[in-house]
Amino acid sequence: MALRNDRAVQAAREIELKEIEDGYTLVGGPDEAVTEQHDTDRIPEVDVDQEMLSDTGEDPESWLMYGGSYEQHRATPAEVITPENVADLELEYELSVGTGSSMEGTPIVVPGDPPVMYQTNGPNHMKAIDPREGEILWSYTYAVPMGVELCCDDNNRGAAVHGDTVYMTTLDSGVVALDRYTGEERWYTSTADHEEGYSATWAPVVHDGTIYTGSAGGEYGVLGFIAAIDAESGEIQWQTDTLLEDEWVGASREHGCGTSWMTPTIDEEAGVLYTAVANPGPDFDGTVRPGPNFPTCGTISLDLESGEFQWGFQSSPHDVWDYDAVAPRVLVRDVETDDGSMDMVVGSDKTGWVYMMDAESGDLHERSEEICQHINMWEMIPHISEDERVPFVPGAPGGNDWQPPSYNPETGLVYVIHQNYPQDLYWRYEEFSEGNPYWGGGLADPASEFPDEWNGAITAFAAVDPTTGERVWREWIESEDDHYMWGGSLSTATGLVFNGTQNGTFVAYDGETGDRLWEYEFDVPISASPMSWYDPDEGKQYVAVQVGGSGWLRQGPRGDTLAVFSMED
Amino acid sequence: MAQISTAANMTAAEQRDLAAVLGVDDPSDGAVTWAGLAGQIEPRSDSSFASRGEAIRADLDGRLERDRLERERENIAAAIGRVPAVRDGGVPDGTDGPYTALAAPGWRLYDHLLEAGFFESLDENLPRFTAGHIETTVRELVLADPLSSALDGVGFDEAEKTALLTDVANNSERLARWVPSNGIPAGVEFETETVPPLHQRAMGGALLWIRGLDRHLSQYEVLVTDEILDDAAQYTKAMLGGLFVTATAACDLVGDRRLTDEQLTAAFTAGSAVGIVAQEELCHSVFYITDEMRAPSELR
Repeated sequence: MALRNDRAVQAAREIELKEIEDGYTLVGGPDEAVTEQHDTDRIPEVDVDQEMLSDTGEDPESWLMYGGSYEQHRATPAEVITPENVADLELEYELSVGTGSSMEGTPIVVPGDPPVMYQTNGPNHMKAIDPREGEILWSYTYAVPMGVELCCDDNNRGAAVHGDTVYMTTLDSGVVALDRYTGEERWYTSTADHEEGYSATWAPVVHDGTIYTGSAGGEYGVLGFIAAIDAESGEIQWQTDTLLEDEWVGASREHGCGTSWMTPTIDEEAGVLYTAVANPGPDFDGTVRPGPNFPTCGTISLDLESGEFQWGFQSSPHDVWDYDAVAPRVLVRDVETDDGSMDMVVGSDKTGWVYMMDAESGDLHERSEEICQHINMWEMIPHISEDERVPFVPGAPGGNDWQPPSYNPETGLVYVIHQNYPQDLYWRYEEFSEGNPYWGGGLADPASEFPDEWNGAITAFAAVDPTTGERVWREWIESEDDHYMWGGSLSTATGLVFNGTQNGTFVAYDGETGDRLWEYEFDVPISASPMSWYDPDEGKQYVAVQVGGSGWLRQGPRGDTLAVFSMED
Repeated sequence: MAQISTAANMTAAEQRDLAAVLGVDDPSDGAVTWAGLAGQIEPRSDSSFASRGEAIRADLDGRLERDRLERERENIAAAIGRVPAVRDGGVPDGTDGPYTALAAPGWRLYDHLLEAGFFESLDENLPRFTAGHIETTVRELVLADPLSSALDGVGFDEAEKTALLTDVANNSERLARWVPSNGIPAGVEFETETVPPLHQRAMGGALLWIRGLDRHLSQYEVLVTDEILDDAAQYTKAMLGGLFVTATAACDLVGDRRLTDEQLTAAFTAGSAVGIVAQEELCHSVFYITDEMRAPSELR
């Protein structure tokens, strides 16, 4: 069936992203969700059980969750593509997804004959795909309520799967469950009121029959939380606010934000999750929320069963620069240190460093060498001058925004993407008078003056040794149009690292040296994070990446492509 | 034992600025002191300061418990005395350590003031920080012998007392960003109803920062230097000093009434101002650890 006859695709295409004063909203969408079935019989009815989920990081034939494993290594054990032969990697096909919207997702693949890929993109559109043939088996568009408030785009970054069900967060701060064999809706659960500014864009994660999901809306004065939802019924099991009551002065906590807007990392051995916590609210005026605003701009650990708080660590306390911690935490096991073996939580944050934390306590093992430049970092506190404006790096997008790092077990290195662009934040000394606005400041992007020290490269892609924090290599990436690099990386068991740039170049790096071993050019930016799987019946390893500009600030022209590359045994 | 001085970073220029704010001549030896200033300035009748102090007294009449206030004032004084020992202890071992203990009497004071409606009363009766309000505050402070004596009694030497004055006098623009909750107009980008009163934010914020030092220093131990620990102790002492000024004035309000109405207004203003300036300095010099500030890595 052609995409023009696919009602779900058409419904998604008709949803228009409209810029409003405070961000974006959607207009023109369907009143009810739309499922279009193409060839659902082709989907093998083999339920995904917990063992498959727990082992997916070791299984070259599957990629069953956003981060590639509960530890979010984003590493495939498939070994067909190597540094020696990657120059021969070829495009298998390009599939047009047909929606012309945000493309920040990572597909998942359930093994079988054929395997089935579940791929999502904005606005809340999902497809089941036969990834051998590049053919759509069903498609689905959620009926996002019109008027939903979005800070940054109509993103959706991926699906989760369990049993015979596939799950997607929704832009109105919910989770929808679909029959993965038919694409039909099973249930929908709202985790918060979207009219208060809550939304959801990330892939949820399922463990032991429970879905874990977070919260977004940190520019709208919400109160961040993590929620656990029964995967079968959709019933909320627990919902834990990220902000501890005794860490805030009075009622300032109520709109203190601290959202958690990427996929949590699951530690099956310790029975806890780790996740990043974003900016406090309001963003720029810290005087109305004094104190460190713990644990905003940091990392928290919660008990999987109860949601009870375990520990928190902040990378930018009392933040007034929008230095969220966002990117998924990476759990690296059995790291040898002077004090013995340690399980380590690696957080790559907007502050422009990578933090290696003891998974048990949250204590900092080491902070990396700088990834991006640090120019006038954390200046202007105290903010004393009416006219003082200081361009600073990293700007509000970081450092590392949401782009997921990967960990390569072969090299033992973590690969991170940090932006490196001057912005200009200014506070205004304002005489208060009734009826006049009090913003307390604003963000100039780009900075009105560029600092002399800035090297002219908008992005750094780097490898970090988590045992020492050494920056083993770093590639500076420039962009003629000043586009940010907006997707994450993929590691392979053979020591490769794949990454897509804002210039439309899909690159395979030698993970040890940072040398570019292979490139493929697209005509629009890549804003998504690649994944890989091995199909034994075809005897091929595949690498998939979504292609198209996306996001909040200058990510470039839209695209509409799911690109799949392959190499035979 | 470490000597912890809140005047460690005070410059001659700051002292000159303080003298300028008060309109007095620089002393020939360059050392501006509380005592020296007290001998140079005259009382200036400011009816608004008197009426504000009077209104606060009337507002809080019968709502504050003298015993609780005096007990916690003494405990805060003792906490100030323990700061050098806490500094000597180095990096705290865990999140519930010596800085949490230093903050404990302050939290008890805070809780009582919260129950009594103290912070709302200050928001109602005190103006936002303006250059004029700051100048009069400093002038009244300098002339408040009971406050000066009380600070002597908890170990603030002449230079440290003067540093408290410079914190207030020389930061009117910075302090002006801290606005009474009832002074934030409707229509700003955040919900104003949940903004706590200004003086609650000043005191509560200071206590959160002090308590947060245990967690921050222990978690960041690999980055922490002696200079960072020195700054942590110094600004903790300054914040406790601000709390002590507020506690002393509150005790006076329900007790001997040795402070004039003008001095009461000045003391409450100054207690919060010192806490605000010190917490911002602490944030900058202890919590925001750049590569230039950090201890060298032992791993690379």
